[in-house]
Amino acid sequence: MINPSTGPSSKAKVQHMMYGFGDDPNPLPETVTLVEEIVVEYVTDLAHKAQDIGSKRGKLSVEDFLFLIRKDLPKLNRCTELLSMQEELKQARKAFEVDEDKLATLE
Amino acid sequence: MKQSKDPFEAALEEQEESPPNSPVGEDELNSQTPNEPQNQTNGGHNLLVDDDDYDEIGPNVKNSSHPSSTSTCKLHSTIVNANVATGATTKNKEYDDDEEEENMEVELSKFPSSADPTKMAKMQAILSQFTEDQMSRYESFRRSALQRSNMRRLLVSITGSQKISLPMTIVVCGIAKMFVGELVEKARIVMTERKESGPIRPCHIREAYRRLKIEGKVPKRSVQRLFR
Repeated sequence: MINPSTGPSSKAKVQHMMYGFGDDPNPLPETVTLVEEIVVEYVTDLAHKAQDIGSKRGKLSVEDFLFLIRKDLPKLNRCTELLSMQEELKQARKAFEVDEDKLATLE
Repeated sequence: MKQSKDPFEAALEEQEESPPNSPVGEDELNSQTPNEPQNQTNGGHNLLVDDDDYDEIGPNVKNSSHPSSTSTCKLHSTIVNANVATGATTKNKEYDDDEEEENMEVELSKFPSSADPTKMAKMQAILSQFTEDQMSRYESFRRSALQRSNMRRLLVSITGSQKISLPMTIVVCGIAKMFVGELVEKARIVMTERKESGPIRPCHIREAYRRLKIEGKVPKRSVQRLFR
């Protein structure tokens, strides 16, 4: 199942990513297509497994994905990093919004 | 405010003290990455300007609902990832001129400390010795990301549920990106085994995928896919 919205932009992103990880600056288009297909299949399988796990608990949550990659330490660390950064950013934005309200009330 | 001030970007602006340029289209990013070596010969200032463009481009290219979080998520890279990335590519380490070291400082200050000054010092030491080629590759590594909107759409279509939370898309995008990394790195290993060079071909990716399956890094389907 290919993502229906696979347009030029997503291919470009995959190309940049492949270059970053070690491919040529201009990867072959067949290779990019294949990688994209494999990734979609990977995410699909992962999501299905997560759904199986999540259905026991009720609804699908982030925890299910984290449980699936628990054996893969680099991925697990990266995900916890991303999540904590997201939290940090949320807090930072919240603090900023509160300041704006104060300014509004002052005026 | 162009984008919400996160602590990581603030460190960059402190160092630069130059106003960011207006947002540039994605085409510029695509054309600038391979052109970076030429840009650098123009002198240090141009690279500073280019980096500002990258800052603006990054958020614009990605999902607009959370621009800065995407760029900072990509700024955050563990030492493990960096070492794996540098180890897998065929790079020749050279010592840079002072001029290039100055330019590197701009990139360096963007990296968050991850509350570990020793890690940051290590990163700076490594990054200051990168060649242009290595730097551009590292930049692609940091900035590239799968689109969250596409990922969300994919997850919705798989699970059939509309309630895909934002952390979930972020996590899945991160996992997928690392999976691409595993594929590409293993494909490069396969290529060196076969003593081939040049761009990676689909046969290498297929062999890499086969090996990853054997290692158990790919989720196995309990039921074989009969129809596509």
